[in-house]
Amino acid sequence: MADWASRAWPPDTADLGLLLVRAAETAAIALVGTTVAAVLALASCTAAARNLTPNAFVRLPTRWLLNTLRGIDSFVFAILFVAAVGLGPFAGVLGVALHTWGSMAKLFAETIEDLPAGPLDAVRLTGASRVKLVSYALVPDVLPGLSSIGLYMLEFNVRTSTVLGIVGAGGIGLELKNSLDLLDFPRLLTVIIIILLMVTIVDQLSSRLRRGLG
Amino acid sequence: MSGLEGARAIRVRGLGHTYPGHAAPALSDVTFEVAPGEVVAVLGPSGAGKTTLFRCLTRLIDFEHGIVEVGGRRLGELHGRELGLARREVGLIFQQFNLVRRLTAEQNVLAGRLGHVPTWRVLLRRFDQSDRALALSSLDRVGLADQAQQRADRLSGGQQQRVAIARVLAQQSALVLADEPVASLDPASATDVLDTLRGVARELSIAVLSSLHQVDLATRFADRIVGLRGGRVVVDRPTIGFDEADYASIFGRAAPVASSAV
Repeated sequence: MADWASRAWPPDTADLGLLLVRAAETAAIALVGTTVAAVLALASCTAAARNLTPNAFVRLPTRWLLNTLRGIDSFVFAILFVAAVGLGPFAGVLGVALHTWGSMAKLFAETIEDLPAGPLDAVRLTGASRVKLVSYALVPDVLPGLSSIGLYMLEFNVRTSTVLGIVGAGGIGLELKNSLDLLDFPRLLTVIIIILLMVTIVDQLSSRLRRGLG
Repeated sequence: MSGLEGARAIRVRGLGHTYPGHAAPALSDVTFEVAPGEVVAVLGPSGAGKTTLFRCLTRLIDFEHGIVEVGGRRLGELHGRELGLARREVGLIFQQFNLVRRLTAEQNVLAGRLGHVPTWRVLLRRFDQSDRALALSSLDRVGLADQAQQRADRLSGGQQQRVAIARVLAQQSALVLADEPVASLDPASATDVLDTLRGVARELSIAVLSSLHQVDLATRFADRIVGLRGGRVVVDRPTIGFDEADYASIFGRAAPVASSAV
């Protein structure tokens, strides 16, 4: 390892432009995947929350579906989608979106279940329909919590997306694998530095935003 | 506001309910009524059936016997949408205020309009002029017009309960049920809230039925006292005539010195 490390210096910046494009692709996979997942999770989370959906015939199948999605890693989904839709970032986006949908909706549902029942009952008994109840009395109280979860999932997905390229699902992971296969250590070092910088920047941005939500 | 004087008060006849698995009924043969503009306090020791009574009056419990008539409609016979419409006519006030914490006082009051306005207005939060005017005048009636834009969780307990009263006013209910409305408040705020409630009942001819566990508050606030013990009505008389014997029949013991001033 020490030998590999010594041979990696100095980092090779010849392909810097391409590598930065790949890094941007990785961030885009995470962003698009997380956004799609957030929309799906918002649509499905109330059906998985006990206080909004007491009916077990609706709630339990919803939970099973979400648990299944959560149980299959983005990486595994990506392998399946590379086979199904071909190489490239689209497979990565689908993989990230499906796994994150399951995780996010579960966390959303738990946030909703933690709400005090009183205000919801009070608004329900004014004759408000379910849509009115959710949009008026529920969303304002849970929105900060849900946004925080969404940002956290985005951070997580940026890290996940760095390796998706290894299975051909787009992003900087492809360059990571290529450099390693060719034993091109200076180039590998550049890739690793870019990944570290990107992950750090996203984590910092996200945690700053999340603090602002409190 | 309550155009159908008399017709929109609540009438309860022979109301009885036994919880599954219990031998003794929680309520039996409860009969009383409340006229528009009248303020009635329900007194009773814990376990007397006050909470069960309030849950029956909104049909959160499907009671077994008797008739509950709200605004001329028999609650026990309604289902689905009709039950929802009937509930809309009843304003509820809770011990824990139950405001949506992150909405402003005004938005919480507008929640009282949710049963009346179209869904798209709720989604876009665009209430029309008449609804907004009603919300503001309701806040004004409870003395909180200056707090309209304050977030609910920044208000004191007494203020929150007055916002809850304004929400009921915006709902334009002819009947208000208040379940221990001041049990979580300090004595000064409690008096304040009850005065507000009585004031709006008089001005707008709203019938108010409120459970209380403090006799001195009940005698100052209510026109009439209904006493419950063991699920039965043991006292039903105007506050003026409420005496030591009534106290004893509700609580099973003589009035303590503090409330002998009644």
